[in-house]
Amino acid sequence: MSWLVTEDHKRIALMYFYAISGFFIVAFCLGLLMRLELIAPGRQLLDPQIYNQVFTLHGVIMIFLFIIPGIPAVFGNFSLPMLIGAPDVAFPKLNLLSWYLYVLGGLLALSTLLFGEGPADTGWTFYAPYSVKTGTNVSIAVLAAFILGFSSILTGLNFLVTMHRMRAPGMTWFKMPLFPWALYATSWIQVLATPVVGITLMMIIAERTLGIGLFDPALGGDPVLYQHLFWIYSHPAVYIMVLPAMGIVSEIIPVFVKKSIFGYKVIVYSSLAIAFIGYFVWGHHMYTSGMSGEARIIFSILTFLVSIPSAIKVFNWVSTLYKGSIDVKPPFLYALAFIFQFTIGGLTGLVVGALAADIHVHDTYFVVGHFHYVMFGGTGFAFLGAIHFWYSKIWGRNYNIKWANIGFAILFIGFNLVYFPMLVLGMMGMPRRYYDYLPEFTLSNQVSTVGSWIMAIGLFIVIVNLIAGRKGPKASSNPWGSVTLDWTHTESPPSLYNFKEIPTVTRGPYDYRDYEDYIKENHKN
Amino acid sequence: MKLKFTLLFLITLSFSYAQQEFTPDENQELLGIYEHLDEYIPDDLVFTNENGEEVNLVSMIDKPTILVLVYYTCPGICSPLLDGVADVIGKAEIELGKDYQVLTVSFNEKETYELAKSKKKNYVSQIKREVDESHWHWMVGDSINIARLCNSVGFKFKREGDDFIHAATIMILSPEAKITRYLYGTYFLPFDVKMAVAEAAQGKSGPTINKVLNYCFSYDPEGKKYVFNITKVSATIIIVFALGLLLYLIFSKRKKIHHKTV
Repeated sequence: MSWLVTEDHKRIALMYFYAISGFFIVAFCLGLLMRLELIAPGRQLLDPQIYNQVFTLHGVIMIFLFIIPGIPAVFGNFSLPMLIGAPDVAFPKLNLLSWYLYVLGGLLALSTLLFGEGPADTGWTFYAPYSVKTGTNVSIAVLAAFILGFSSILTGLNFLVTMHRMRAPGMTWFKMPLFPWALYATSWIQVLATPVVGITLMMIIAERTLGIGLFDPALGGDPVLYQHLFWIYSHPAVYIMVLPAMGIVSEIIPVFVKKSIFGYKVIVYSSLAIAFIGYFVWGHHMYTSGMSGEARIIFSILTFLVSIPSAIKVFNWVSTLYKGSIDVKPPFLYALAFIFQFTIGGLTGLVVGALAADIHVHDTYFVVGHFHYVMFGGTGFAFLGAIHFWYSKIWGRNYNIKWANIGFAILFIGFNLVYFPMLVLGMMGMPRRYYDYLPEFTLSNQVSTVGSWIMAIGLFIVIVNLIAGRKGPKASSNPWGSVTLDWTHTESPPSLYNFKEIPTVTRGPYDYRDYEDYIKENHKN
Repeated sequence: MKLKFTLLFLITLSFSYAQQEFTPDENQELLGIYEHLDEYIPDDLVFTNENGEEVNLVSMIDKPTILVLVYYTCPGICSPLLDGVADVIGKAEIELGKDYQVLTVSFNEKETYELAKSKKKNYVSQIKREVDESHWHWMVGDSINIARLCNSVGFKFKREGDDFIHAATIMILSPEAKITRYLYGTYFLPFDVKMAVAEAAQGKSGPTINKVLNYCFSYDPEGKKYVFNITKVSATIIIVFALGLLLYLIFSKRKKIHHKTV
């Protein structure tokens, strides 16, 4: 009970973790269901209408309830104050309110299952005018997304103030670790962009309930305007999803290489650049929506620009590995998988970002493959990497490393079996969002479906291993030998205000010179 | 303050659950397409083909069939529709005559088979590949047969003087004359048609997916201006707020942190 009114950032983080993991598993099962439907051409077990609703619910839950809040709300909340040497976030009560808004939004989204004509069938983008006309529970789903948006804004605001105000003495901006930096860039997007989607979603509700013609051409509205407003938020939101994941990778890699990260400042600037340029590329979702040729060319050029800072990060991570003393542990494996899969996702992103190529692959499975490589292969794997990384800090115990490795390997193989065939299918011309397909697409679809079973087995092993780890052997306070404050200056699990006394920072965040002495010295204190 | 927010929230919530759907214009109910998926075409309809021969419509249907309802003197949407059909016959991977046939039927009972023949010649010449044109049939008929056919597929039209108000669509029939899919608009993706024909061959029906895209797009410049104002005002508020926050965080003095230690 004390959990429900707690203001401790670590407990709130854990409450987020349980809620988010629960939603993730629900949406994961919906994904398995869709893959099962697609095991052969024709109808297998889902009606076309049900299929539309299933992919919408899968998308809404995965995007709004898992990927957007996932890393910031769980690991941001848990680690950010410790990484910058603060006793808590700046506004602990607001933090708790964000969690309640999150849960309310989540329950509203799930409530669409229970009554009326069932969950929305519009796809997670709620494109008008269809979202204005359909009889399914779009208004509730939209309201849920609206409330979740508020949760996201408040978390962002909280983190911004925390980082500006509560860094430990001596921690200048450029001594701040990279995960906080990634959260800093993310938080600005949350604060600036999320209100746009809030207003847009309210406009949909106004149109549905009051009949005001904003987006529906039958009422004198403009459906393309909806797409603009939606993507002005939702494209920056893609960076809300992936920037924190990049932060996690930047945090994990130096620890298992025992070497300062290559190009620290460049990674910082690239995070900020991604957040900034990310505002100006939304039009690349709309190449086929009827924008002018000039607008499309400009959006295509800007899209290419945003790939530069992303690529810089990938090169820097790989360079960090060079001549490091690499210790292959589960978190590190997830970080490597992130680099591999994010690179595939990023490069296929250039294919869809290129105007001419996109005209051909728009709305095909190529796009589905692309964004799953970025979102699941990137952010999803980073999320799992983070839980394996901070596990002993959170619970003070260790999971079984061998089983973690086995689970990772199966998950990794399964993941690539599911999504790589989708890239091929898209190139062959299979459109997305259909419950059915032509016979020539059968083989790749079957590979993908079998892959989804392998992936499910892998995920199952990972989850069981993590749960079993709660009863595992007690962990030391710094089992990976990290030099960031969260590991060197706190116990496992950390006490209520994290630090016995707020440390004074003198070293850079990834300074691994004589790190063993440094860790020992602080451990004595 | 709290109470106000709670009330506001509850009102929004109740609106969302109320699901009042807005119906724009009741007159529209009389026109357009009312889908009769999975129903059959009556088997005693008789029409005249472009060669002047009377034929039973259903007896002609021995393979997946694209049914196009137009009238040949139409000054409006029928020409783009037939252009679209000719275009997709040329582009689709499936072959006219082997995989499917096309049946164009005039719903103006005053039109003659000679007119049908000249129209056929015109549109067949537009197909951008070699096809067996004997599988694109052009029919005319009397008002009773026309009415029964149109009713059976849910195609509602209205006479206005010499012309008609009607929608643009093609329907796919299975070899058993069952309606398996409606494709709306005047331009058809070769993939959609191929998929629809493949389904029809097995007698499977598919739901309509992009009906909404084919409503005539007419927007109201006044209303649009109004919407743009909303977006401009909100954008300004958001940016001013965010900039204000940033400046405040940078320039205001840092308070000393008070915290308990455990």
